Amino acid sequence: TVKQHVVRKFLGLISSHSVPVYLIDPLILGLVDKDIEQIRSSPDGPSPECKYFCAPRDFTTFALLDKTWKHEVAFLRTAEKMGFRWLKIMNKDPRLDGMDDLSGIEIPLHYIFKLASHAIHLVVFYERSGNYLWHGPLRLKQHMDRKFVPFRKLHFGRHPGAYEKPELLLVSIDDLKVQIPKNPSSFLKEMSYSRFLECRYREARAFFQLYPDDASLDAVDFRRKAKSLLHLAALTLNKLGVKFWLSSGTCLGWYRQCNVIPHSKDVDLGVFIRDYKADIIPAFQKAGLPLKHKFGKVEDSLELSFQGEDDVKLDIFFFYEENDHIWNGGTQAKSGKKFKYLFPKFTLCWTEFVELKVHVPCETLQYVEANYGPDWKVPVKTWDWKSSPSNVQYNGVWPVDEWDDVIQIY
Amino acid sequence: MDEWKPNPAVKPHKKRSWYLAWKYKLMNQRALRKLCQTGAVLFLLVTVIVNIKLILDTRRAAYEEEEESAQDYDDEMLNVEVPRHPVNNKKVLDVEVYSSRSKVYVAVDGTTVLEDEAREQGRGIHVIVLNQATGHVMAKRVFDTYSPHEDEAMVLFLNMVARGRILIFTIKDEGSFHLKDTAKNVLKSLGSQVAPFLSWRDMWTFVGKKGGEVYGEKHAKSPALSTWGDPVLLKTEVHLTSVEDAECHWPDTELNRRRKRFCSKVEGYGSVCSCKDPTPIEFNPDPLKDNKVFDVPVAVIAGNRPNYLYRMLRSLLSAQGVNPQMITVFIDGYYEEPMDVVELFGLSGIQHTPISIKNARVSQHYKASLTATFNLFPDAKFAVVLEEDLDISVDFFSFLSQSIHLLEEDESLYCISAWNDQGYEHTAEDPSLLYRVETMPGLGWVLRKSLYKDELEPKWPTPEKLWDWDMWMRMPEQRKGRECIIPDISRSYHFGIVGLNMNGYFHEAYFKKHKFNTIPNVQLKNVESLRKDAYETEIHRLLGEAEVLDHSKNPCEDSFVPDTEGKVYVMFIKMEQEADFTTWTQLAKCLHIWDLDVRGNHKGLWRLFRKKNHFLVVGVPASPYSSKKPSSVTPIYMEPPAKEEGVAAVPAVAAAEQT
Repeated sequence: TVKQHVVRKFLGLISSHSVPVYLIDPLILGLVDKDIEQIRSSPDGPSPECKYFCAPRDFTTFALLDKTWKHEVAFLRTAEKMGFRWLKIMNKDPRLDGMDDLSGIEIPLHYIFKLASHAIHLVVFYERSGNYLWHGPLRLKQHMDRKFVPFRKLHFGRHPGAYEKPELLLVSIDDLKVQIPKNPSSFLKEMSYSRFLECRYREARAFFQLYPDDASLDAVDFRRKAKSLLHLAALTLNKLGVKFWLSSGTCLGWYRQCNVIPHSKDVDLGVFIRDYKADIIPAFQKAGLPLKHKFGKVEDSLELSFQGEDDVKLDIFFFYEENDHIWNGGTQAKSGKKFKYLFPKFTLCWTEFVELKVHVPCETLQYVEANYGPDWKVPVKTWDWKSSPSNVQYNGVWPVDEWDDVIQIY
Repeated sequence: MDEWKPNPAVKPHKKRSWYLAWKYKLMNQRALRKLCQTGAVLFLLVTVIVNIKLILDTRRAAYEEEEESAQDYDDEMLNVEVPRHPVNNKKVLDVEVYSSRSKVYVAVDGTTVLEDEAREQGRGIHVIVLNQATGHVMAKRVFDTYSPHEDEAMVLFLNMVARGRILIFTIKDEGSFHLKDTAKNVLKSLGSQVAPFLSWRDMWTFVGKKGGEVYGEKHAKSPALSTWGDPVLLKTEVHLTSVEDAECHWPDTELNRRRKRFCSKVEGYGSVCSCKDPTPIEFNPDPLKDNKVFDVPVAVIAGNRPNYLYRMLRSLLSAQGVNPQMITVFIDGYYEEPMDVVELFGLSGIQHTPISIKNARVSQHYKASLTATFNLFPDAKFAVVLEEDLDISVDFFSFLSQSIHLLEEDESLYCISAWNDQGYEHTAEDPSLLYRVETMPGLGWVLRKSLYKDELEPKWPTPEKLWDWDMWMRMPEQRKGRECIIPDISRSYHFGIVGLNMNGYFHEAYFKKHKFNTIPNVQLKNVESLRKDAYETEIHRLLGEAEVLDHSKNPCEDSFVPDTEGKVYVMFIKMEQEADFTTWTQLAKCLHIWDLDVRGNHKGLWRLFRKKNHFLVVGVPASPYSSKKPSSVTPIYMEPPAKEEGVAAVPAVAAAEQT
């Protein structure tokens, strides 16, 4: 069929220029995944029919690592000679976005190669600080041919995305040799949660114009400690497979100034209670972060606090989902009073923060506004967690006989 | 998926609310009446506008017709009547050149391409090179030929300009005092009749084609020593040639396309733009076996010295083991020509908006460049930092490849540097030898990412602090007692003589005689002995083996060191405490090595070569190696000179700085 023919031609072009691309087409990977055992075990096995590349679709999607992309001009010229028409989508380099005063390079984010009725979508992945791969959004510029391909049907490019560096496997499917992610099903799962948010560098710069950054040694020191604590926490939780996101002041710091707020005294993370694991406490202790206090219980208002280097502490708040909102709880140790912090529902996106790929609520503005009110842009140095948040609600008192369980201080 | 637009420019919500508001207004009677009124007025207005437009259009059509018929009938007339040089088919350029004591300017077709009336700068001969086909400015230089050697630089430059280019000369203030005959002859060969007789405070302008016709020359003689010649203004016309005539016909390859783009834009790079035998722009040096620095990013810090950058990148790309993909050139400012140079070599370049002034500007540029480097290469553990005025040794990467593991493993190290502050022609000998030093030489060095990210970046001096980045890095708060590894013979060579803290005299005194390794693939010896503890063992071994020199002799004299080769000698100087460098500074001065501040020391010990012998200097009693001094030997004390002499010895105020 045309599809298989075009893919074959493209793979030929790729190998003649030794450009190591890999298949990330969700449709084909879905089909491949069903037969993955068989495909893995017969690396050269002849397949009688065109089972994968002939599936009905308009595109086939491949990924390319920027690092391995060398001779673009020659490559595109050969592509033209082979009859491909191509479109290249460039945009500014997000790795330099945080630096207001640098300019120079736009980088290629997407290529589309069209031959007859089929098109190849080549997504360029970039390595970024935090040991992950990033691909950019696909945005057409004024002069571009909007009808080149049905752009809306592309599987990549609606949003930027963040991925782990995949392990690759060379397989032979439909008589074509092609690299695929070693574990297609986990790649497909990753793909559905890959949306990436860039930090709002421009707004952060405007913020620092208004409120110059604290460059004191104390601030530098705190930031260093907070960063290393966050790195350690991420390592520990990722190892356990516990999904977490930046919450409270840490989230505000990311959203408002793309950095740790120097006068905050801790690092705050959020975790859905459904992701809670009993191993969390021992894992942190093993990582050198002893438990400082535990408030609440799994069924209600759970909150863990770990002691980091010096006085920096790590707070993990557990979030409870209701029909129309999400909340987490707080407890005052001396009185047993309970508090409840309400948030509108949110989903999770990836972002980069202090050289780490981490989650933040995609609907960050609503999240931050719920927590800090409409004046979240104004730095506040005195903060009372029981009264300052605009989403705090009084939530009764723990029964005295439960205190030993729900108020544990070390 | 369906609501997604690749370019989300439309905001549907707004539209809807506008519609609702409109509907609501309609229901209101008063609003309806008002709307009718507004509508009537609008209609009237539109009618008027349409009518006016109609009238205008008719007139214009008539005018155009007239012109067209004129064209048809009289071609000659056309050339005179309409603007003489239609933009898209320019044949003749108007050139205006002005020369005077306090101001020079050059205008090409009414556009000022040079204007300098600043006080106390821009003295000498200004040269502008135009493309003979397009009229674009390809190079702009000023040679202060009032001062020595600048005429040689001008000759060099003029020789590099391709035949056929248009050259424009004008003098500001004074341009003849050190304009030697060689230079005058070159100007004469370009067709100048005045150049051979140019003298003190004459004003002069000249426009000519290299290897071709002269378009004009004007000269005003200075009537007396104390006065200047009258200002001269030369107005002339230059006939442009076709683009084909102005270009070379190199084979059509990707490399030559880069070359063509470069050569049609800028001038003064010599054989790279030669039609017959262009010098290569791709070098393909031998790869290094087991190259440990192949994936280390290289940041080239540049300003607006494109010729320096050109020379620097040539040497860098010729070094064995270079990986062009890892190189990024950071240009401080939106200068075009340095970017052209970067693109000529197919490298990537990033421009940086200048922040702050002078040294602080350099410092902010460094910070931005280093941050960007680690952002662009997030996997990198190190970055190589180079500057645009360095030559890079052929074994630069080999040197780093053999030593980089030390920087990774030994936490007492601050950097690896390719530069030995004390490595002069007469004091450096062994290309395979490395030292540990307590100073941070810079000039081609390796920075550990963790050092930058965890320590330096967060507290880097802010723009309002007018600090030198390297001085700041040398401060104890930053260095924290850590050391750098350097080679005995430098792997970089500092050729820049025009710089922020640099001038010709200073360069000649402190940099020109620096030794630079030219041997490929040098196998470094005892790399492992450079580790913290191993190095102490090594030093003790050396001192144990060293022969104590005769301390009754004058250490400045050649005879202080016997006429031997390959031996190890030691001398002891007075050094009361750790910061007492009185005697060392005097010794450094008489040995003609770096004496402007203390460099190259390790725990009160300096290592260099004299007459091909390893020569150790130990400061007693501050150095822990003082115990090696025989009790019979009295450490040599050298008195600092009287005050004013000390001042005279330092030529530039900020001279101790190397950027």
